[in-house]
This record gives sequence, C-alpha cells and structure tokens, in this order.
Amino acid sequence: MKLLLIEDYKPLQKSLTKGLRESGFAVDTTGDGKEGLWYATSNDYDVIILDLMLPGMDGLTILKKLRAKGKETHILILTAKDTLEDRVTGLNLGADDYLAKPFAFKELLARVHALMRRSYQKKNPVIKIKDLQIDLNKQQVRRGKKQLQLTPREYSLLEYLAMRRGQAVSRTDIWEHVYEFNSSASSNVVDVYIGYLRKKIEQPGKPSLIQTVRGRGYKLGETS
Amino acid sequence: MMRSLKTRLLIGTISGMILLLFVFSTIIYVVIRSALVNQFDASLISTTQMLSALTEQKKDEVDVESEIQLMAEFKRKQKPAYYQFWTADGTELQRSLSLDTNDLSPFGGTLDKPIYKVFKMSNGQPVRAISIEFKPRLDKPKRKEKLTESEVSQPFIQQQTITLVIARDTTDLQYHLWFLRCTLLIVSVSTIGLSFFIAAPIVRTGLKPLNSLATQIENVDEGDLTARIDTENMLTELTPIKERLNDLLSRLEKSFNRERRFTADVAHELRTPLAGIRSTVEVTLKRIRDADEYQTALSDCLAITQNMQAMIDNLLALARLDAHQMTFQRDEIQLAELINTCWQNFTDRAIQRNIVIDNRISPTINCQSDTKNLSMVLSNLLNNAVEYTNEGGEIWTAANKTDDSIEITIANTGCKLTAEQASQVFDYFWRADTSRTDTGIHCGLGLALVKKITEALGGSATVELHDDVFEIKLTVPI
Repeated sequence: MKLLLIEDYKPLQKSLTKGLRESGFAVDTTGDGKEGLWYATSNDYDVIILDLMLPGMDGLTILKKLRAKGKETHILILTAKDTLEDRVTGLNLGADDYLAKPFAFKELLARVHALMRRSYQKKNPVIKIKDLQIDLNKQQVRRGKKQLQLTPREYSLLEYLAMRRGQAVSRTDIWEHVYEFNSSASSNVVDVYIGYLRKKIEQPGKPSLIQTVRGRGYKLGETS
Repeated sequence: MMRSLKTRLLIGTISGMILLLFVFSTIIYVVIRSALVNQFDASLISTTQMLSALTEQKKDEVDVESEIQLMAEFKRKQKPAYYQFWTADGTELQRSLSLDTNDLSPFGGTLDKPIYKVFKMSNGQPVRAISIEFKPRLDKPKRKEKLTESEVSQPFIQQQTITLVIARDTTDLQYHLWFLRCTLLIVSVSTIGLSFFIAAPIVRTGLKPLNSLATQIENVDEGDLTARIDTENMLTELTPIKERLNDLLSRLEKSFNRERRFTADVAHELRTPLAGIRSTVEVTLKRIRDADEYQTALSDCLAITQNMQAMIDNLLALARLDAHQMTFQRDEIQLAELINTCWQNFTDRAIQRNIVIDNRISPTINCQSDTKNLSMVLSNLLNNAVEYTNEGGEIWTAANKTDDSIEITIANTGCKLTAEQASQVFDYFWRADTSRTDTGIHCGLGLALVKKITEALGGSATVELHDDVFEIKLTVPI
C-alpha cells in the first residue's frame, strides 16, 4: 500500500515517514506543495496525507487541483488549523478525512487504514482467504493457527494482493503500490518478494494461495 | 447623590415650582394686602376729614359737634370704632361713647401726613388707628354785622391745634387677609400636588429613549461585537452617546479580533512543533529500537523543544513589552563591537550558506542604550538576514550618527519580497512564505519583537526595499 505524505515541517515529516513505513506502507514524502501536486498526479497512491500550510502551494489548492483533474485518491488533511470552518472547507473541497495537529500516531494510522479499506471497498479489517487470515489493523497474518512473521515489505505485498483478491495484479501495479517512488529497486524485485512471501505463507500439502497468472502477474485467492 | 434620573428631574421640577409659587403667592399677597390696607386707610382719612370739619373754634373755644357721638359707627356694640379729641395742652375735648373709660393716645401726624398705628384695645379688639393734628375751622361772624371795635382791634385770633385719633376695628380686614393667605396656600399646595401627577408621567415618557438605549446596550453580546446601536429615530441629546458607544464597540471589536487572531496564531504555532514531538515519540515507542535511533529521536525532540522555548520567550517578551513591564538600563555601547558579538552565533550558519558579512560601522560610534535588549534586536535581525539571504549573498551593517540619534542599517541581498510584503514584515506571525512552518525563532515573531523593543528603547524600525536588497533601518537615541 502506498501513501503520499505532503508535510513541510521536517520533524513531523521524518517521524511520520518512519512510522508509516514501519507499519507496512510505502511512503513518498515531500515538503513542497508544487512537488506534492506533481507526485499526486503522476502516481497512483492509495492515500494522500496532506498538510494545509505548505510552501509553494497550499494544501487546499492542491486538493482542488487534484479533484479538478479527476483524481479520486483518498485524501486525509493534516493541519494545525482546526476551526470548524477549516474542517468544513477542507471536506467540502473533496477531502475524505481531517486530523488536527497534534494527533496520536495510532489515530492517524487507523484513519489511513480506514481510508485504504474504503479504496478497495473492504469494510472488514480482517481479510480471510481460505485459512489465511490477514488482520489489517494489527498487521498480523495467520495461516490456520500459525502466526506468520512477515517483514514490512512482505506484509505490504500480501496486503495489496489481498485487497485485490481474486484479481490478477500486474507486476507494475505491485511495484507502484509497494515500492516508493524514489526506490531504486528493479521490477524483478517483485518476483523475488513473491518468492519470499510464498515461502512464508504456503504450507506443504495445502493448495497454493498465490498463483502466477501467465503474462499478467499474480493472483491471491478467488473472488469472494 | 440621587441615583435616579427620574427622581432628580421630578424633584428638580417640583422644587422649582414650589419656589415660583412661593414667590408669586408672596407678591400677590403683598399687593392685595397693601391695596386693602390703603382702602382701609383712605376710609380712615375721610372719616378724619369729616370729624375735623365738624370741629370749629369760636374765639378761643373749640367746639366739637356732639352729633358725632351719635354716629352709628361709634355707638354700636359690635366692633365699634373709636375717636378722641384733645387740645394742644392735652385737655380732652370729646370722645366716642364706645371708648367708655378706655383711652386712646395721640401719636403725632397731620392731615397731610397722618400716622397709622395698629394695636389692640384693652378688650382685645384689634384696631388700626390714625392720628392727626389739625387747626379747627374758625367760626367767623356773619357779614351783615359790622365788626365791633374790639373785633377790629383784635384782628388775629390764635388758632388752636387739635389732636384727633380715630381707631377702627380691623377684624374684617384681617379676616380678608387670612382668607387670602389660605386661598393662596391651598392653590399652591394643590398645584404642586397635581403637578407631581403630571410631571411624573412626562418624565417617565421623556426617559423612555434611555430605557430603549439600555435594552440595546444589554443586547450587545461580548461574544459578538459586530452589533451596533441603532442611531435612527434618535433624540438629538442621545445621538452623541450612541455614536460614542458605537465608536467604543468598533474599537473593542477590532481589539477583540486582534486578540482572537493572535491567540489562534499562537495556538497554531504551538500545535505544529507539538505534533512533531508527539509523533516522533510515539513512532519511536512503537517498538524496541537500538541506541542510535533513540539518540536521534531524543535529539530531534530536543531541537523542537528549543525552538518552542525560543518562540515562547519571544511571546513573553512581546507580552511584557505590551504591558510595559520591561525595564531598561542605560549602558555605554560601542555599536560595531556589539554587532560583532551578536554575529558570533550565526557564523556557522553563514559559512554553511556561504554568506559574508561586512560590518561597516565605525568603531567610534557609541550610543547609550540597553545592551541586553539592543543585542536581542540585532541578533534577531542578523538571524533573519542569515536565513533569508541568497546562498553566496552578502549581509552588511552601517551606522549614521545624527544630532540626537544613530541610524543603524542591516541589509542583505537576495530578497524576493514585493513592496507590499515588505510592509508587513513587522506583523505578528508574518512570514515571507505564508505556508512556511519553520518554528521557533522563525515563527514570524522575530521582526515584530525587533520593532517593539526598538520602540520601547525610544527609537523606531522601518523597512526599505531596493531591488533585491532588503534593508532594516533602526533609529536609536544616543
């Protein structure tokens, strides 16, 4: 799952990026409004976290421009302005959620998760595929009764496949949603990680969960 | 001190009325009384004239007509009048029967200038008496007889002086005057009583606009100062009050709005670094980390708290300046040296940004000012300059001495502000880039503080823009 964080206050930018990455997100970060708009238009993010007071271009303008361009990415506004008018203006301009600074990191995370599930029309935070269970909130994965230990990257990959369960997901899609923009990883890294993931979630004697769809990519489970 | 305007107006009106009624009643009483007394006296005089006419002198003998005694006035039992005649030697000539054994006593006066006297008879009857002295008519012999020899040899008969006192009862007069007094008193009292009933509603109605004004003022809510008092259909006397009140409301509204904006700004400026600390700490606490990571997180938090502290110090300094709680010393300051000292704190940053400083102030320029505060001003300006000068740019300082002040210029290259933006640099929380959220010293308070302190030191701070050169000019009294 990939996020864009547009926040110019360095300490906040740094800690949020770190925290979100550790929570299994691929995070692109920028502190400049114009750059943020460019990132948001040229990539397909699952959620954008947007500060309002930014150098270059303010958050509300970015929001307006994105919506005008038809970008439907879920946007969470993060700002120190918390008057009723500020909230209403933000939401009316097409923001999906609003969080006033200072906030609890857990709350931000919960809201980002909620927005993400909305993106994939999943209301249940626990996805079950056969005996594989993915708890999106706790980022815990079980196969049967066994708890699986995944790295953030592996988890992120599994989560993305689970969100699009039953669909053949292209390597490019995976790459775009799991790796950061500046990442130097090549696209065959997806295959490598699928390999790691398979080793951890597949169990001998049980049907394979991740199928390779020739020429199209990978598929997790069947459409529920 | 009466608290009620209504009571005051009522008491004032009624007191004025009482005074007027008293004055007019007195005048009426005095006029009528003197008219009545004059009439009484006129009647006394005519009686006197009549009685004196009935007195004649035959040779040396004076004779008073005895018929006078029979006149009803002097005879009646009820409230009789009295008279008594005397000759010049005090011998009584005649008295009214009403006098009986009582005596009147003469007290001078002539027919032309009679003298009046008020007294009571021994029986308690109040009287007003007139006293005159007159020469009685001479009884001349008839012309048909020739004058005798002796009469001719005695051509002049000594005319005697007769004194007459007439006293007449004044009960009626006094009754009339008493009645007049009563009438005037009753009229006055009832006028005052009635006027109270008339004046009270008039005053009440007259004061109604005050009540409506009070209601309007009452409706002004401290939460919403946009309300104004309606000045239409206003009594001219109240218009200035309403206008002043509206002026006051406008000023209050402005100052409240300024306060509110300032508080919102402060809250905003504090929320951002607080969010930084909270999120750094929370993310760090998410799991067990190695020492390096903890160290980085703690250093980050420390840096943020230092910036927050700097901002709060600035805010406090501003608040103290506003409340005039700052005290200033008068130190002898060598300006060039002070600037060099202040610059020490920014040399690292200047080297990092490849900025040079040129201190063009002559070492001979001195001023008398508060070292601590002046260096705070200069540090703020240098800090500002070192942050906003273009990389590889230049900062320079200069000073000009006039008769009573020193003008200090701190200038830097690389300014991208417009003239309009430049005019706002001294405003609270103003930043070159409205969205910039650097905290602490760059929270937009530095230049506001510079202006405030310089003004408190008795000087002024202005800004000038020459192409890309940003200049702050300080005037400091010597």
